[in-house]
Amino acid sequence: MSIKSTIDDLQRQFDEACENASDLISLEEIKNKYLGRKGKVAGLFSLMGEIPPETRKEVGQQLNVLKNQLTDHLQTKLNELTGKDEKKHRMDYSLPGYPVVAGSRHPLTQAIDDMLSIFKRLGFDIAYGPEVETDWFNFESLNFPPNHPARDMQDTFYVEGGGILRTHTSPVQTRYMTTHEPPVRIVAPGRVYRNEAISARSYCLFNQIEGLYIDTDITFADLKGIIELFCRMYYGKDVKIRFRTSYFPFTEPSAEVDVSCILCGGKGCRVCKNTGWLEILGCGMVDPNVLKAVEYDTEKYTGYAFGLGVERMVMMRLGINDIRLLYENDMAFLRQF
Amino acid sequence: MIVSIDWLKDYVDFEDVPLEELAEQLTLAGLECELKVSGISIPEGVVVGKVLERSAHPNADKLSICTVDVGEDKPLNIVCGAPNVDKGQTVPVAVIGAQLAPDFIIKKSKLRGVESCGMICAEDELGLGGDHAGIMVLPDDYKAGSPFSDYFRSFKVLDIDVTPNRPDVMSHWGVVREISALTGNPVKFKKITLKEDGPDVNTLVKVSVDAPEGCPRYTARLIQDVKVGPSPQWLRDRVEAVGLRSINNVVDAANYVLMETGHPLHTFDFDKLNGHEIKVRFAEDKEKFTTLDHKDRELNSSTLMICDADHPVAIAGIMGGLDSEVEDDTKNILIESAYFEPSVIRKASKKEQLSTDASKRYERGTDPNETLQYAQDRLAEMICDLAGGILAKGMIDVYPQPIGKHNVPLRYEYVKRVTGIDIPAETCKRTMKALGFRIVKDAPASMTVEVPSFRPDVEREIDLVEEVLRVGYMDKIPSMKKLTMSVSEEYDEFHPFITDVRSFFVGLGFCEALNNSMVNRATAEAGIWGYDPLTVLNPLSKEMDTLRTDVSQSLLGSLKSNSLKKRPTIKLFELGNVIQKNTHVETNAEEHYNMALVACAPMWQNSWLAKDGSADFFYLKGILTSFLGRLNFSFRLKENTNRPEFDILYDVMVRKQVVGKIGQYKMDHFEKLQLEHPVAIMELELGKLYNWYNPKKHYKPIPQFPSISRDISVVLDRETKVNPLMNEIHQNGGKYLVDLSVYDLYIDDKKLGDNKKALSFRLEFRSDEKTLTEDEISGVMDKIFKQLINKYGAQLR
Repeated sequence: MSIKSTIDDLQRQFDEACENASDLISLEEIKNKYLGRKGKVAGLFSLMGEIPPETRKEVGQQLNVLKNQLTDHLQTKLNELTGKDEKKHRMDYSLPGYPVVAGSRHPLTQAIDDMLSIFKRLGFDIAYGPEVETDWFNFESLNFPPNHPARDMQDTFYVEGGGILRTHTSPVQTRYMTTHEPPVRIVAPGRVYRNEAISARSYCLFNQIEGLYIDTDITFADLKGIIELFCRMYYGKDVKIRFRTSYFPFTEPSAEVDVSCILCGGKGCRVCKNTGWLEILGCGMVDPNVLKAVEYDTEKYTGYAFGLGVERMVMMRLGINDIRLLYENDMAFLRQF
Repeated sequence: MIVSIDWLKDYVDFEDVPLEELAEQLTLAGLECELKVSGISIPEGVVVGKVLERSAHPNADKLSICTVDVGEDKPLNIVCGAPNVDKGQTVPVAVIGAQLAPDFIIKKSKLRGVESCGMICAEDELGLGGDHAGIMVLPDDYKAGSPFSDYFRSFKVLDIDVTPNRPDVMSHWGVVREISALTGNPVKFKKITLKEDGPDVNTLVKVSVDAPEGCPRYTARLIQDVKVGPSPQWLRDRVEAVGLRSINNVVDAANYVLMETGHPLHTFDFDKLNGHEIKVRFAEDKEKFTTLDHKDRELNSSTLMICDADHPVAIAGIMGGLDSEVEDDTKNILIESAYFEPSVIRKASKKEQLSTDASKRYERGTDPNETLQYAQDRLAEMICDLAGGILAKGMIDVYPQPIGKHNVPLRYEYVKRVTGIDIPAETCKRTMKALGFRIVKDAPASMTVEVPSFRPDVEREIDLVEEVLRVGYMDKIPSMKKLTMSVSEEYDEFHPFITDVRSFFVGLGFCEALNNSMVNRATAEAGIWGYDPLTVLNPLSKEMDTLRTDVSQSLLGSLKSNSLKKRPTIKLFELGNVIQKNTHVETNAEEHYNMALVACAPMWQNSWLAKDGSADFFYLKGILTSFLGRLNFSFRLKENTNRPEFDILYDVMVRKQVVGKIGQYKMDHFEKLQLEHPVAIMELELGKLYNWYNPKKHYKPIPQFPSISRDISVVLDRETKVNPLMNEIHQNGGKYLVDLSVYDLYIDDKKLGDNKKALSFRLEFRSDEKTLTEDEISGVMDKIFKQLINKYGAQLR
């Protein structure tokens, strides 16, 4: 029997069987019998090796055509049957679907994104710096002289080879300014490290976002404006803001910024230790010594800088009372965000 | 720093300001402070009682029933469990309503059937100490019914968090000046009157300074025939109010002057100074010395010492020695008031790990001039008043190169330029004067002030701007409502890139993790890139003494902790820096920004739809293909056989460079965890990919013509790798082959024969110009068949 007639026979048998099928189960049997992995069509394909090479091409084409036709016919019949037998064969659609579980973003990187998008709206570019820093960028260029007690404010990790783990994102200020002329308007997110015992309230590393704007005619009022805008965009329009004089070597004058406690609204509670205020960031006018360190003209340019700790703000917002949870990566924790 | 409200009131009036408001104003001005009560605070409702009667409890051996007079008409019935309670005792009684702890309020109660109307207290119940052995028994002269708190002293104080730039406010005087500036009320400092009735001090004491670089000024006074004894009550109150312990009149006086002026002083027992001599010099290396805290120390040459003729008697500016301490039988006292170089004191304090009231002030910078002199005189005056004694005439003052004062100008226009507001010149002047600055030049547009030497933090015009701003103006600066700004012409694209990457993996069901960058050495050395790790020289613990060299090991740590908690699905990713030691980088640290992924999870968890299968290597391989495809990178996998812990590990090659790793661990690598699924990982150098990434996309015309698909099924030797076959098909597939997939893999020794496998490919052909015909495809298919048969021994099925 020629291959051609085998193919024709097979097609005839199939069409007949298909027409006679009255339910989905018999159709499924037909499908397996003809089109299954060990079905009749596959059987024909497996004979290809025995066919003389000169006709092999032709036969291959015919087999492919056959396969397509059977598949189409089967589908047509299937559509017909599922329509006709709807009541008898209806699926139980109350069964649950595929357990598709979405992943989640870490609450810290989410918060960083939220904050950066606010600062982007306010016209800041994003800049970066290394985590292993030189003493010059981390301290000296920022007006921390060697052997100065201000260095005690930031307990430092020292690394083999002369570097230190940056204690704040402020070195990005001087890094950026050494390669860019004013005006400079950047925010810099990143990890910083402090050599402090790990507890519910402090971890050996955390994330900061640094802000810097250097230009002509920049005043403390500009700083206050941008900080207020940021706080209102992040915490909501009703938030109250307070500037307190403080000290950072790289800003003068310096201030710390408190927002009205987001839990009690300023009435006083355990989170704000009954003060009604929560400290969220440090800021100030860039100290002329910093501008000198990067060879900017201190009579021409002024500017402001600020730095905020992301962990603290996230913990306050989400009601997390142990910072270590943020670095434990328990799936049960991460899935919540 | 704790300052006493009463003490401050000696020097400035602030009766008209409520204390809470004062604390708020000081806080805004830079002295972050909290109003507190120091000393002992006894809860309200605790009164003195007299035990009139005591009888045994009828129903309990250890309890007794007491009748206690608490000054009211009727005595109280109180059941008490203390073994030592007895008739006739005077005791503290917590009456009904007294709150001894947040969750402990005294109520009327019945104890084993007998009513009790209060509690007789033990020490620990009142927060007075740890003693719970029995109730407190008080002196008989305590009056029944009087509040127990009447017998304790408490003081209103401000607890100030002093910033390191302000040594001057580590004293009552400093705070007084701040209050004066804030309220406008004048400062009233005391004048000192000294009676120098003794012989000339120079005939009694010799002082020499061999290290003027460490000790620019050293002064000494001598008081003879003092009587060391207990301090009077007012002095005890003062020192205790600021948190010190009263010791004796001389030591208390020295502490008093320290807390008042901020200038540290030291008193020596003069008779214990060999040769009646003081020498200031740096220590010799390995010189031994025992400090007042009974610690034996070995010094080095950076530590400045105060010595007598033969040996050291104090570590300069930090702590005195045990051998020259003023004791009860001390007769003659030498007072030291000196100025030490801040960095010298700081170095020694760090080296000795010894931080004292004195060292904290010296290392921040004390006043070498007026305050130093004043403190010296004030202490001499106080000791003479309190301990008798005759003050020697004059003061030894070794001050070879007096430290001068400097003048700083302040332009009002500059004040505005920095702050954004006009602060009136008169206000500026008033503030500067109140803070102790002397106006040496007063011009219409500017002034020049002489900076007092107690303000080492003020050197420049900008520092003066801060002074005029912080005193009352911090909350008056308006916040700019209209933004004017220069917008940067640069625009960061990295952050949007990584945000997008994160979203991609979140969409695939991965949770984002963040891990410590400090790991133990073994973890850093096991890093998947094989980088040489960098050590942290002063780690918090051995577990964190090295910087991580990859993100994967961090994620494996998270995997372990999650599997111990039996979390069923563990799919994590993390983005972060890893560090490679590279001596060509200034800090020796080359940073790589990486992304890693770990999966140990079922493909579908607990579903009737799909029961089998793990999110394994092939899952990650699919993710990798899709991820890199999305970024428009073609890649190649190169097997990496260097890691025995892996079943399979590949280097991910892009542009002929290794940019990633992907693999699956051997199950026994995590034997102890008894995991149900294999652990697959992937790590990419995201920073490098970003640098190569071209975000520009070009539209490609949408296919207009239908595609034709063809299947090929072949039987191959089991060992034959599929990837070369697929490459072969691609190479021979011609320009119309647009997609190739493997849709079946089949192994059956009976049907296929030993060591064989059957593979089925589906090929998709399409042209952008026309509908393809059979003829156009069949030639290509023939070519493919031929190659597979000839090159790979494939049998067609």
